[in-house]
Amino acid sequence: MTKKQFLVVGLGTFGENVAKYLTEKGAQVIAVDTDEKKVQNIAPFVTQALTADATDEKFLKSLNPKDIDVGIVAIGESLEDSVLVTLHMKELGVKKIIVKCINQLHARISAKLGADRIVYPELEMAKRVAEGLISPNILEEIELSPEYNIVELIVPKKFIGKTIKQAKIRSEYNINIIAIKRKVPYLTDSGETDFKEEINIAPLADDELNDGDILVVIGKDSDVERLKKNE
Amino acid sequence: MNKKKEISDKKETEESLIELGKFYFINGKYDKAIEEFKKAIELNPRNSETYYNLGLVYEAKNNIEEARKMYEKSVEIDPNNKLAKEHLEKIVGL
Repeated sequence: MTKKQFLVVGLGTFGENVAKYLTEKGAQVIAVDTDEKKVQNIAPFVTQALTADATDEKFLKSLNPKDIDVGIVAIGESLEDSVLVTLHMKELGVKKIIVKCINQLHARISAKLGADRIVYPELEMAKRVAEGLISPNILEEIELSPEYNIVELIVPKKFIGKTIKQAKIRSEYNINIIAIKRKVPYLTDSGETDFKEEINIAPLADDELNDGDILVVIGKDSDVERLKKNE
Repeated sequence: MNKKKEISDKKETEESLIELGKFYFINGKYDKAIEEFKKAIELNPRNSETYYNLGLVYEAKNNIEEARKMYEKSVEIDPNNKLAKEHLEKIVGL
């Protein structure tokens, strides 16, 4: 299988880290910025690092845009530059375009230009932090549909010491436990205490729920709410 | 009882309380472990190891706020407590 090709334009914190992670995961990454210093910093970590102005269509053409699987526009400072780069990428045939947006107007313009995905890190993080503050028992939440979620929650006190079957999580709450994350205490060689995190995928009905367990469950929002109330 | 003996007895009791707390922790009896570590802290409020262990139990119970306080205390008393520092950094998100 040939490696996927990524083009990252804009090497602020977001762009830099996306480029690094993609390379770590084995992808071919071209990283571009107008700031030579940023380009030099990232050069050892990516396939190719270029100091150039990506709003210049000729430059983008020189990168064989049709061979690029995903273009990531991570220009934070200038809405105009971000829009131009997105437009050129689209017109030059980059297969998929992801745009990091700074505000909702930016997001709407990018979507109109044909961006395949809009990322809005500040907004997403703000939502997560706020959700975490409102319901501290919910650690993570992935929306599958408006009704169904995959949720990570701390095992309700009522169920500690019971098996999954005894807790009747499936029969009474219509909720399936996909996995149990557990911190398992142990003694180090030097006699110090610590714990390691283990994950039990697809737990059995006879598996017991322990104090401190984190349940990864799938179910309806309303059912998860009911389950949570068992504190 | 002379003063020297009193101190050495106290030390011995503190150590056994910590050991008992660790025993409970290893066996997943988190609430009992907390009780023992708290008793040990009453005897000696300046032992970094006890706070680290108490932090560990709170973290295992997902009481992250209390865990953080305990790790902070542990590192404050002994800035070289590597394990406490590691857990604290992980909690804060460093």
